[in-house]
Amino acid sequence: MSTRIDPRARWCGIAPCVLQVGLALAQVPNAPAHPLDEPAALKAAFASRIGRSAELVEFRLGEHHASLLVQQGADFDRYEALPGQPMPPGEPVKAAAVDCRGRLAFAALDAATGARLLRQARAIAAANGYDPPGTITLGAGMMCEAMGWRVVLTGAGNLEAQLHLFWPPDGSRGKAREFSAEAWHTRDIARLLEGAAPAAPAAPAAAPVELAGDGRTRDFLRDIAGDLARLQAQLGAELAFKRIGFDAQQLSVDLLQDARAKRVSTWLVDREGKLRLWREADAIAFDCNRPFTRADFPFTQLPTLIAAAPGLIEAMPGAVVKDVAIRRSGLCGKPHVYVQVEDARGYGNVEYDQRGRLVSARVQ
Amino acid sequence: MRQPILFLTLALVVLAGAGARAQDGVARAEAGDFAWPNLTDMLTRLIAEVGPPIKVYKLVIDADSKVELWIQDQRQRDFIDRWHYDHGTLRGPTPVKFKEYPSRAALDHHVIELLEIDFPRLPAMLASARKRLDLPTAQVTGIELERGDSSGVISLTDSPIWTFHLATPRHDGRVEFSLKGTVLHVDKD
Repeated sequence: MSTRIDPRARWCGIAPCVLQVGLALAQVPNAPAHPLDEPAALKAAFASRIGRSAELVEFRLGEHHASLLVQQGADFDRYEALPGQPMPPGEPVKAAAVDCRGRLAFAALDAATGARLLRQARAIAAANGYDPPGTITLGAGMMCEAMGWRVVLTGAGNLEAQLHLFWPPDGSRGKAREFSAEAWHTRDIARLLEGAAPAAPAAPAAAPVELAGDGRTRDFLRDIAGDLARLQAQLGAELAFKRIGFDAQQLSVDLLQDARAKRVSTWLVDREGKLRLWREADAIAFDCNRPFTRADFPFTQLPTLIAAAPGLIEAMPGAVVKDVAIRRSGLCGKPHVYVQVEDARGYGNVEYDQRGRLVSARVQ
Repeated sequence: MRQPILFLTLALVVLAGAGARAQDGVARAEAGDFAWPNLTDMLTRLIAEVGPPIKVYKLVIDADSKVELWIQDQRQRDFIDRWHYDHGTLRGPTPVKFKEYPSRAALDHHVIELLEIDFPRLPAMLASARKRLDLPTAQVTGIELERGDSSGVISLTDSPIWTFHLATPRHDGRVEFSLKGTVLHVDKD
């Protein structure tokens, strides 16, 4: 019996296949080359690619990219469009990733309105000193609010200045709110187009406060006195501690800045002795903001207390010191010394009081 | 000496079914199903390393069929050790470092005797999980066994629980089983 295939039969098999592939390729819609100028064509391309009735969950529009998240029954799919490119099939999206219930019939999508509003948002950005937005989004928003067109503008050079623009799906009655001076302010869209609400400039960055290291390598578990003295000399006043924390590599000092204890500055010292102001922030209102000084805790005994701590937990014979914190105990009590120790299996805590007396030593 | 030999024999008898199913698992894996790790091989190697009894704190099988097993050190029951099994290679022990160390009593309560674990039930549990989630093509993203308390705190589900984590491109699901294969909880996103 011959196993040779008749060449005519081979062609008869391949030809319909080639034809089918060609037809399938011909049916894949192309995204328009200029989506913002051809919004109806963009919508038609999405409709053709989806192929069935669907509800719109989110539509994102820009000149370089558009995407559409739709719901069909219980399933969610995301479709993408790149200018002039064949539209790929939808990608499944996990139901749990879709947070909001807001939907719009796909037929109600007016991409031309989206294109118009994006141009308007860009005009507002230019008139008020914001970065031009790349896209506009039709959806329910981050907080699952009403369906609508949304653009978030950020200040040119100041990311903290924000202007949120919103229009309902039909593009009427736009609303705007500006975030400035740590609060939201309602703005009028028409006046924004006239440049009525310029973005606040970025606050000038404070020059870094830094003191170079002295070339000596430190082990803070043995000594922090020298670096606290350096910090005091830098500030020119007695240090008002909120918390002192350190391990072998780094010393961190939280200071209450003034008598009213409203601000906290955090200073860091690294292993080579470089001292720098890391951050300044308002004190937390109901936190313990009563300062203490070196005279209020067993400052001179620190190296001895720290070295003794690992031996105080019987169940952790091979423990070593992990880190140390000095802060007021309980509800704003006396400053205590807290030494955390560790071994391969876990952690332990040793606490000394303001006179260096052992309070507790136990496995964590 | 008789007791360890008896234990090893018992364990191998119990695991024989799992081994057979693991062999079947290879065939199913080629058909797109989950490739079960060779648990017989893993436990035989583990018993050879640490000796019986094996008391399991936690067992995790990941999507790549690698196994992470936490067991109680029977010479010092305060300690939990971690072992890894990766397609025929057993590595360990690595000390488990707890953020808050459970007491010995809590550990004794938490661990599960190896002989209580019916490994041959696993493929049936997976089939049941898919059915209960109505996700027949779901892939395994993880399978875990641990007592339903947490670090020694007694909870309402104070029993060993198998948790099957499954996923499809559209959904994630989780099904919990008792050691005997009873469905305890079904959760689908």
